[in-house]
Amino acid sequence: MALDIEFLIRTFFVAASGVPIALLVTIIALLISIPISFLLALTQINEIFIFKQVSRVYVSFVRGTPIIVQIFIIYNSIPLMLKKTFNQLGYEFNIESIHPVWYAIIIFTFNTTAILIEVFRSSLQTIDQTQSEAGYSVGLTKYEVYRRIIIPQILVSALPNLSTATINLIKATSLGYAISLHEITLKAKVAANLGYNYLEAYIDVFLVYLIVCSLVEYGYKRLEIILTRHKQKEGVHIA
Amino acid sequence: MLNISGVEKQFGSNKVLKGIDLNIKKGDVVVLLGPSGSGKTTLLRTINFFERADKGQLIFNNEAIDMSKASGKEIYNVRQKTAFVFQNYGLFHHKTALENVIEGLIIGRKVPRNQAIKEAKEALDTLGLSDKYNHYPVSLSGGQQQRVAIARAFVLKPEIILFDEPTSSLDPELVGEVLTAMKLLADKGTTMLVVTHEISFAKEVATKAIFMDKGVILEEGIPNEMLTHPKVERTKQFLKRVIPEEFIYNI
Amino acid sequence: MNEYFDSTYLINAFPELLNFLSVTLFITILACLLGTILGFLIMLTKLSKYRILQILGNLYTTIMRCTPSIVLLFLVYYGLPACAEIININLHDVHTGVFVVVTFTIQFAAIISEVMRSAYLSIDSNQYEAGVSVGMTKFQTYKRIIIPQAIVIAIPNFANALLELLKEGSLAYTIGFIDMVGKANLIVESNFNAHALEIYLALGLIYWLLSIIIEYSFTKIESYFNQGKKSTIAY
Repeated sequence: MALDIEFLIRTFFVAASGVPIALLVTIIALLISIPISFLLALTQINEIFIFKQVSRVYVSFVRGTPIIVQIFIIYNSIPLMLKKTFNQLGYEFNIESIHPVWYAIIIFTFNTTAILIEVFRSSLQTIDQTQSEAGYSVGLTKYEVYRRIIIPQILVSALPNLSTATINLIKATSLGYAISLHEITLKAKVAANLGYNYLEAYIDVFLVYLIVCSLVEYGYKRLEIILTRHKQKEGVHIA
Repeated sequence: MLNISGVEKQFGSNKVLKGIDLNIKKGDVVVLLGPSGSGKTTLLRTINFFERADKGQLIFNNEAIDMSKASGKEIYNVRQKTAFVFQNYGLFHHKTALENVIEGLIIGRKVPRNQAIKEAKEALDTLGLSDKYNHYPVSLSGGQQQRVAIARAFVLKPEIILFDEPTSSLDPELVGEVLTAMKLLADKGTTMLVVTHEISFAKEVATKAIFMDKGVILEEGIPNEMLTHPKVERTKQFLKRVIPEEFIYNI
Repeated sequence: MNEYFDSTYLINAFPELLNFLSVTLFITILACLLGTILGFLIMLTKLSKYRILQILGNLYTTIMRCTPSIVLLFLVYYGLPACAEIININLHDVHTGVFVVVTFTIQFAAIISEVMRSAYLSIDSNQYEAGVSVGMTKFQTYKRIIIPQAIVIAIPNFANALLELLKEGSLAYTIGFIDMVGKANLIVESNFNAHALEIYLALGLIYWLLSIIIEYSFTKIESYFNQGKKSTIAY
């Protein structure tokens, strides 16, 4: 079985054309998840009763179940709930008309928020108590202490984990086929269906993810270097 | 018994040892003094091959070893006949005090377990640790940890024990108990080479003092003489800085 | 489509799905064992003094980290027989389970090699020096001093990796392998896609419980090994 090189090259661009939708879902899910998960992480650290319990169960569920199963559950329950709601309100609504990208955003936001709660929680725990005390000692309010002292430090210490979470999220969008989202993997698979060129198609998909992930990883590394300049300078002095 | 000559060592472009000669006889307690960065710790570590010297010869029990080219077998043999006490104790974190002491006896020296336990307990008792057999290192104070480390070195009955600043990591009030332990070993006739800043130990226990700076030996002699009448200007300056007032006689 | 929620479907799904629990566990455990061995070898390349081996080891990990499980599954499923064909070996009739195990073995190995590497690097170098200073050989020092301590440090990350493996393994159904997820899909199909939610909820609950059990066991194991650090006295 020889590889069909011509198909390989042609399909690479088909697969690559799925990148924008994959990135769109990733970015929107991150933008929604980051603030929510940060607040929920705070409730866990500060032991705010109901929030703490609920978010613990939520995190445990997301971490304890495969994403594909989460997709199956959410994809099957949203129409059920919507139908019920609209029926009660007396509206006619065509469930089939919902674009898969909405499902994707809901599912991946649901998943990523839980992952990021853990990320922020562990960063919050590493922040030295004296940092906020120092903030109060120079007369900052609680809000100012968080905004100017705690959050900037947490974002930096969470960056490596945030990078991993982003990569995992991009990889997870490969499961978009389950909700008919035409992202990288599904596009290539559809192209391969015609001539059964699956091996070529998946090599293309593999290359596309490799490129996208490498770029994202590189981007986070640059960001980390920029944000941790103050630490590096100190390091030079010590040496 | 132990003789080294022409030891040189370079880290990058920084020459730390510039041709060191040293002769230690059985029963000697030699202290190596000198400011930090003088190369004394590096010298100690080259003897046990923790650092590989660039040049130099080691004669140990009439057996000559080229320090830059020593084989794994030769290094192993040297370590079988020496012991090392570390600045930060170097106890095995996952083993109790007693297990730390018997580990080298059983595995390194092939002593039967029962006998190893007996000897280890004796050593721990001697150093005042009879109630700490089953304590893990984390639950011991720095002084206690270092005494366990000294017991661990002592039970091996090595020809020589190398001490690398054994009291530098300790709180001031814990230094005394470790120095006492070392003195006990010296009284039992143990050959020791000690890198330290403890002038009192040098004066009271050592049979020979060596002053090192910038990778060379500047002065050596009988501790009391050298500490009270240093011949070299740099030794004088160093002593002025480290010796507490009451020890200064007529510098 | 689902018209309403019926909990009897959910309850009835449990025994049917649990029949395939052993399949899921078998694949996970096998990939875990083989992946740990392969991961150890990959860690050795990363710690090697030869630059080329380091690069290869790190490249392997990066590639694995960037490849979604489903893509890796299909690459192995279609690629392995194609490669074997070149050297005249026919792998077309091999059980799909073999491809599943191969996929997750090579994926797990990449993760575990990092877990082992960071655990090894976290051991203070004076532990090695202390070991050889009391007359142990290099090998004895690794076996008795370094590795026992590294294993304890690696336990939490190992547990996380194992949980990931269990969850990623759920994609095996995509190449036609019948484990719990495959069975769930069969049940949904046999119901003509009605009541899919109930079946998948049952599936989710089983995975959730399984994860909690694994996590809890590893916490127990860790605290057992950490006794030395926490309690003051042994025995």
